[in-house]
Amino acid sequence: MAITEAHAGRRYPPNEPYQVSAAKIAEFAAALGDDNPRYRGESPIAPPTFAAVISAPAWNQLFGDPELELSRERIVHGDQRFTFFRPFRAGDLVIATVSIDKVRVRTGSALVSAIVDMSSRDGEQICSAEATFYHARQALG
Amino acid sequence: MKATVAEGVEVGTQLPSLSVQFTRERLVRYAGASTDFNPIHYSEHFAGQAGLPGVIAQGMLTMGTALRVVSNWVGDPARVTSYFVRFTRPVVVPDDADGVEVEFTGHVSGIEGSLVTVSIEAISDGQRVLGAGRVEVDLGVRVPHRDHEG
Repeated sequence: MAITEAHAGRRYPPNEPYQVSAAKIAEFAAALGDDNPRYRGESPIAPPTFAAVISAPAWNQLFGDPELELSRERIVHGDQRFTFFRPFRAGDLVIATVSIDKVRVRTGSALVSAIVDMSSRDGEQICSAEATFYHARQALG
Repeated sequence: MKATVAEGVEVGTQLPSLSVQFTRERLVRYAGASTDFNPIHYSEHFAGQAGLPGVIAQGMLTMGTALRVVSNWVGDPARVTSYFVRFTRPVVVPDDADGVEVEFTGHVSGIEGSLVTVSIEAISDGQRVLGAGRVEVDLGVRVPHRDHEG
């Protein structure tokens, strides 16, 4: 059975906690060509879109749910919203939990809205990532 | 941190723009840094199999780079409270020394107390590659803009 509108509300178990490190922040900032001083030094923060790095394993949990019959090579990232309650800091241990917010099924395709909640281990909310993914039932192109 | 950024901010204020070359090297660097190893971002073979005209940049690379327009302006990226984009068109990156140029611009489109909304655009090859790009920043102080003209 493929993904249907009835899958809205499905919540997946939290991912393995993600440890934010100064080294990974530096690598990520360099990949963006961003030399902002806040990403360096003794207590760096991460570039805001580092949230996608932490979200990725949560999204993969959803994409890999056998009941949804999604195929990764047919998934296109449609839009992305991040809401930041505070920046990610080196040393943070982040727990990401993904849930399906909305599903719209059309002929041959589905639009899936997913929310990843990212919180510290003691429950402090850090960021919420809302993404819309477009899934084509047949191979794209 | 530039404490003076709030002064003189009006709806319509243009932020300094940013022009970035997206090369295959940049895509590979971002793949490693982000752990997104989807081969359509480095392999012609897999990009073609997915029906794409060529290797394309990661949407999140474009989104992350576009935010530099705002974080460069505001100084402290911790002031960003929300960020939205729509991925309207893939950025095709040729396998040569120059890659493709992406031009990022932003302007203030809303002010409410200390919250400033910046609308951002990304243009590559004459086409908009991000849509409805909006960043909200909290400048920490009420922005002394004019609510009414005249």
